[in-house]
Amino acid sequence: MVVVCPKCRTKLKVDDTRLSPQGSRFKCPRCSTVLVIKKPAAQEKKALDGKKALIAHSNPSVVENIRTLLAGQGYTTLTSADGIDAMVKALKELPWLGIIEVALPKIYGFEVCKRLKSRPETKEMKFILVPSIYDKTKYRREPVSLYGADNYIEEHDLSTRLIDTVNRLQSGAPAEAETHQQKSPVPSAPDISADEKKPQPDFGQSQAPAAKISAEVKGDEMTEKARRLARTIVNDIYLYNSAKVDEAVRQDKFYAVFAAEVKEGKKLYDNRIPQETRDKADFYKEAIDNFLAAKKKALS
Amino acid sequence: MSFINYSSREINCKIVYYGPGLCGKTTNLQYVYKKTNPEQKGKLISLATETERTLFFDFLPLALGDIKGFKVRFHLYTVPGQVFYAASRKLILKGVDGVVFVADSQIERMEANIESLDDLRINLAEQGYELDKLPYTIQHNKRDLSNVAPLENMNKLLNSRNVPWFEGCAVTGVGVFETLKNVAKQVLIELKKHY
Repeated sequence: MVVVCPKCRTKLKVDDTRLSPQGSRFKCPRCSTVLVIKKPAAQEKKALDGKKALIAHSNPSVVENIRTLLAGQGYTTLTSADGIDAMVKALKELPWLGIIEVALPKIYGFEVCKRLKSRPETKEMKFILVPSIYDKTKYRREPVSLYGADNYIEEHDLSTRLIDTVNRLQSGAPAEAETHQQKSPVPSAPDISADEKKPQPDFGQSQAPAAKISAEVKGDEMTEKARRLARTIVNDIYLYNSAKVDEAVRQDKFYAVFAAEVKEGKKLYDNRIPQETRDKADFYKEAIDNFLAAKKKALS
Repeated sequence: MSFINYSSREINCKIVYYGPGLCGKTTNLQYVYKKTNPEQKGKLISLATETERTLFFDFLPLALGDIKGFKVRFHLYTVPGQVFYAASRKLILKGVDGVVFVADSQIERMEANIESLDDLRINLAEQGYELDKLPYTIQHNKRDLSNVAPLENMNKLLNSRNVPWFEGCAVTGVGVFETLKNVAKQVLIELKKHY
């Protein structure tokens, strides 16, 4: 094995067979520093703790948020507010999972992840990166790598996606099996030396229209077009008459009050959507009913 | 088609502001109106409902100086954004020389943007125009709001041809004149090609 002298940075070749499990003492031939070298195999033996997770984030409220989510699933958690502490805790406690902020202080989250993945004792660890900025849209760029992490979740999506992702990682299934999530660009690490660009994942997560659309393209395109037009019509009726719509929904009179609009919209829908697609189902009515159901729920 | 009147030595061009409902088309025009000299502009005609929503169109004539002794006048129009005024929109697009697509940057309006862009293509095609061949500028409006989609995503969704685009906040005037100047320039370049 190769050992680097901490003082003079000389690379030294050491014969593994001469090392004792407790560690052997060597003198650096160049600077005469005494080194204690342990057999690496002895460190690899320890297994990761499957019930322990590391949360590293500079924002205490986010840490608390994740901690609560994981505690609900029976995980014990270690928390860190910076990269150095996260490295130390991970190597000492050997958690199986790390949920790490990308722009972690002291050592960037992606660096922590890369370093831990390259160490024998923590190379089996799973990592989820959490991009810390998601609303400063100007600095987005296409990511090139997850730096060894297994997945990433945007801060605002933690509550909806974390547990699902953790469970999938735990079961060993590919973390990014969901097609629409794969389409969202993953965040890249901030390029420290170059410009100020920060990693910015796609805004289009499961609930965002853009991602929804890309996923839906796979289905029947015309059906989706019909659905989209229908939704836009209903949304427009609401957008231009929100108070009146709320009132009508409360009184269960939407179809009566907005008869003219519904009819006008239907005319446009029939005009734009081919008969063949319209024969499949009444997507127009479906959109209105979905809207009314959601509105009713929101109002009650 | 731009209209050239040789006897009065005038060139008239028509620019249409298109986009989904409440995306800020009228606001763009109102800002232009507010910030131009009285001698340059005509009356801003707005056919709107009592809630100030465009019913048929807004119209603003704008004089932009002379080219080879011809007075250049731009006629700015908006369309009603509400999806089922398709017939009105089609009518207003008649004789268009340049299009500004005002996109609403709010994430929840992305679907409406796509729908409106589709609608624009269909309405243009029905009159024998092709969006890809027209002077065309995109304005990603409402960038001041908190729930906006990243520009990259918006361009991916709405600007596959990579036409000139601007960030806008029409209420405060950000990007309004940049957008107008850009589309006007394209219209004039197009005009030069033909005459």
